[in-house]
Amino acid sequence: MTPYFNIIMQRQSILVIKFFTMTNDPNDAFWLAQVYYSKGDYQMARNLLSGSQFEESVSCRYLSGLCLLKLEKYDEALDVVGESNPFKKDHHVKNTDGGIKLEASLCYLRGVIYARQNNFEKAKESYKEAVEVDVKCFEAFHELISNSMLTPDEELNLVSHLDFEDADNNADLVKLLYTTLLSKYGNVHKFENAEQRLKDEYNLEENVDLMLARTDLLYVQCRFQDCLELCRKILSKGDLNLQVFPNYLSCLYETGGKNELFLAAHKLAENYPNSYITWLAIGTYYFSIGKVNEARQFFSRASILNPSFGPAWIGFAHTFAVEGEHEQAISAYATASRLFPGSHLPTLFLGMQYLQMKNITLAQEYLNLSLGICSLDPLLLNELGVLYYNEGDLNKAEVFLQKALLSSQNLDSGAKAWCSIHCNLGHVYRREKRYRLAITHFNEVLHMSKGESDVYSSMGLIYLKLGHVSHSIGLLHSALAINSTDAIATELLNKALEINLKLRNSKFIDENTGSVLENKTKEQYVKRRPSNFSTPKDSKNDSQFIRESIDNISFVASDPSGVDNDNDNGDDVMELDTD
Amino acid sequence: MDLTEQLGLRNALSESASTLRDHHLYSASKWSAEALNGMKPLSEEQKFALYQKKGQSKVNGESLHTYLPKITPECELQRFYDMDKLTLASSYFDCKEFDRCSSALKGCKSDTATFLRLYSMYLSGERKRDLDSGAVLSENNGNSQNPYLSEISKQLKQLTEAGSGRLTDPFLLYLAGVVATCSKDIPRARELLYQSLTLYPFNWGCWKELLSSLGNFSDASAFLLRFARNSRFTENKCYRVMLLFFEITIHQEFFQTSPEVVNDLQFLEEIFPKFSFVKVQQALVSYNALDYAAAENIFDSVLVLDPLRLDDMDTYSNILYVMEKKSKLSFLAQHTLKVDPLRSETCCVVANYYSLKFDHQKAIMYYKRALALNKRCLSAWTLMGHEFVELKNSHAAIESYRRAVDANNKDFRAWYGLGQAYEVLDMNLYSLYYYQRACALRPMDKRMWQAIGNCSEKLNEYEDAIKAYKKALSVSPEVDPVIMYKLASLYEEKGDVKNVKFYMLQCLKEEEYEGATDETSKARLWLAKHEMQVKNWQHAYNYASELMHGTSHDIEEARAIAREAGERLREQNE
Repeated sequence: MTPYFNIIMQRQSILVIKFFTMTNDPNDAFWLAQVYYSKGDYQMARNLLSGSQFEESVSCRYLSGLCLLKLEKYDEALDVVGESNPFKKDHHVKNTDGGIKLEASLCYLRGVIYARQNNFEKAKESYKEAVEVDVKCFEAFHELISNSMLTPDEELNLVSHLDFEDADNNADLVKLLYTTLLSKYGNVHKFENAEQRLKDEYNLEENVDLMLARTDLLYVQCRFQDCLELCRKILSKGDLNLQVFPNYLSCLYETGGKNELFLAAHKLAENYPNSYITWLAIGTYYFSIGKVNEARQFFSRASILNPSFGPAWIGFAHTFAVEGEHEQAISAYATASRLFPGSHLPTLFLGMQYLQMKNITLAQEYLNLSLGICSLDPLLLNELGVLYYNEGDLNKAEVFLQKALLSSQNLDSGAKAWCSIHCNLGHVYRREKRYRLAITHFNEVLHMSKGESDVYSSMGLIYLKLGHVSHSIGLLHSALAINSTDAIATELLNKALEINLKLRNSKFIDENTGSVLENKTKEQYVKRRPSNFSTPKDSKNDSQFIRESIDNISFVASDPSGVDNDNDNGDDVMELDTD
Repeated sequence: MDLTEQLGLRNALSESASTLRDHHLYSASKWSAEALNGMKPLSEEQKFALYQKKGQSKVNGESLHTYLPKITPECELQRFYDMDKLTLASSYFDCKEFDRCSSALKGCKSDTATFLRLYSMYLSGERKRDLDSGAVLSENNGNSQNPYLSEISKQLKQLTEAGSGRLTDPFLLYLAGVVATCSKDIPRARELLYQSLTLYPFNWGCWKELLSSLGNFSDASAFLLRFARNSRFTENKCYRVMLLFFEITIHQEFFQTSPEVVNDLQFLEEIFPKFSFVKVQQALVSYNALDYAAAENIFDSVLVLDPLRLDDMDTYSNILYVMEKKSKLSFLAQHTLKVDPLRSETCCVVANYYSLKFDHQKAIMYYKRALALNKRCLSAWTLMGHEFVELKNSHAAIESYRRAVDANNKDFRAWYGLGQAYEVLDMNLYSLYYYQRACALRPMDKRMWQAIGNCSEKLNEYEDAIKAYKKALSVSPEVDPVIMYKLASLYEEKGDVKNVKFYMLQCLKEEEYEGATDETSKARLWLAKHEMQVKNWQHAYNYASELMHGTSHDIEEARAIAREAGERLREQNE
């Protein structure tokens, strides 16, 4: 507050006190309380309004509730506001002055109090009531949406039931604006329609809120680069728009923009030293450069400043997940999932943690829960594929991985996720003995990246089983070139070389002998043509032999997949950061 | 080739030199320009006539015949729109600011601009990779990857999808092929390069890329057949010439010499009498046929023709090394150092010189320098491997050889070297595999077969060993008593006395031509012992008494046999 403003308030309060002492009218008391409230003298305002004569007035109750909230006396505040909405039946009173109905504000206040008390179910109900009472009560709607309190279906339901008539002539506009804010999982079509109409009919093309909604959509679709560019655009418009930061920071993390993260965090720290967003930014930066301990500290600070801020909780949980501290990670993810029932990410991460802990049942439960919220995330589908693979249900694994592949193509997601899907599909087909398909998928992985050594060793194993010994040896060499300590590849290579000696060597010599003897005859020296050439063994026997030899190592064969699935999970945690 | 055809070829080559330069494919452009200038020079009158004709066609508004694929009006329009940006980007490229070049072309749609954008991205990635990869043979060396590869291939994929599943620009196809090679997708790379070449065959870089993607001769001949069946290459004489270049290079690289190759080379030399490339190919053909003197002569003439040309001089130094021409190699080293000390070829020449002086450490240093200057200096890896073998550092040798075969899997010397290095380490299973690879590349070389036979023997696979040695015998140009003796001893291992005797006799027979050697003496001794056993005293005496060569122990033993056989003979006679 500026000194100048303080002086005005001072004068005002003196005047009002004089009036009040003269009239002793509740209206004047309300007025005086308002002045106290804006001065920050919450206790004074509260004391003033605590009398039986104020019980009747809704506005007085609202104000005293607000004061108690500021004083962090939540139970008392709830007493004043009332535990439930008394106006349930008759909220169709039309407000004449065009402002927000007081009843709605009261409901919103109740919601805030419940949220502070960590009673999210009740808070959700109250917010919903607030919006239902007055559709213009945007604060309540925003709380609902930005904290993902509702599942996508509930959100849709809410918007379709709202009474937009209250908004006078702008019913359509408000409805469209609300639609753009809905979660982006299932409603892509609706969102695009609404966005288009807002742009065309209301000329809101350059509106920041609309662009913010767009960044959410892009982020959910894993189009990090596009999302990042839009975020930058928003930031270039109004210098520091705090709402854009969660998406912006995550995108920077995803695309490896460490330097920009550093700058953003510093900028925030200069301008908003006390905001939770600042601490989130710093935490994300430390996380991106691999300083997990520092990251954890800053994430936790952010979550202390705003306990209902999900990204901070998820980041906090990630710091445990990368270090393999499953228990702590799980409890942090669980908090996040309680805060955001409408987001699929916390449950997905929970599922991933349980999968790493080999607790298949719980993992399955959580992943399915996540699937119920968002059925298109390739990462989630990939995890489900891995889950069924570990369970040995190859058919289901294949189905989910194929779905993941499909949606990753639809959503144009990053190459890293895409590679691990192909890799996992390759493993599934290998186990199903559909070698050709497995090879195609492994090849896809190799096209996109240099690949891990296990891709090469898996391919080596496949080719060995198919009887292409030489090719297999080449691939196993590549595996060892990447990771020279790969025990599986080493063992496979020794096996392959043994087969090479036992089977291929004589064949190799035979094949070449035939052709060359035609070219050059040296029979004057070697009078007897070599008669003891064994007839080439038919290929059936070969593959039989190879199979027998491989039986000895088949336990290894199932092993690599287990190992690298673990790796995949680890990677996935790294791939997905705070949302 | 008659004059009009030659003029056509000139046209095509000069067009390709400038087009390739526009695409910043400098070495391919250099090749085309060198080829153009290596052709038979036109006389003054011919030049003047050409000039007049050109002026006429300008007046008539005829456009010159072009070999570039036709472009649609829309493409031309796009190219026009992109012109300014393209100029800017090109100048950035020339200043080697690759990232800036690719970002300057953002949003450009024309094929040339897209090519330049992606190509500069590729080069920038290569440079970053080089920066990351550290010193030669250090821990991280060779494991880093071009960071932009996946992005480039993604964009190329999008372009392909946009263009109804096919790229139509030969240069984009070439780039796609290069990228596919980098990501080890060889079959697709070959296909893309093939497509690029059918659209525009005057890009030597593309031919070279295709060549390096071919792993064995049967693949290579399959491709040759495919080109030969392509109607474009049969109908157009200029296309045919390019294919011929490819053909002889393939035959040279896979050590396939036939009269046709020699004929083709002569044909090309008639068209391009002053083109060093053709001469170098001739030299390499002679070198591969172990005709070092001829190769040396040709290289001498190349050096006279173009003394400042450093390309392929490393090969020349190899020839001089094999011939042990120390002074000439020293001259070459001094000369190349004077021309440019910071070229990988120069470093190879110097390294060869040091190697010949038995200064292996220095040689290794120079090979490392060559590789630091140019990652693609393939022969340096193999030669460095040889140096490490000299220093008895098997592990470093293996690493070098392995990198050599990674870079060029057609290098039989590297495969053979790998086999040898593993044999030293007593890992015969491994060395057998490498010998097989070497042998597949050079089936007409008895050394390969001997190596396989030796390895099989060590692994107790006598049957295979015998077969391999027989094979060695059949490809060897002259009879080798060593192999004969080896075969005999293998049969002895199997207890097949009849065959042992046969080969021992064959081995001994060589004494008549070559004089006594260790093997023939041993064979003689064995035969003597054998005859003793079968109580054929006369023969035993004959064999044993003629043994003059070998260890003192052997000679002692032979004397004893001779004495005993003599006594028995006397007993018999009495």
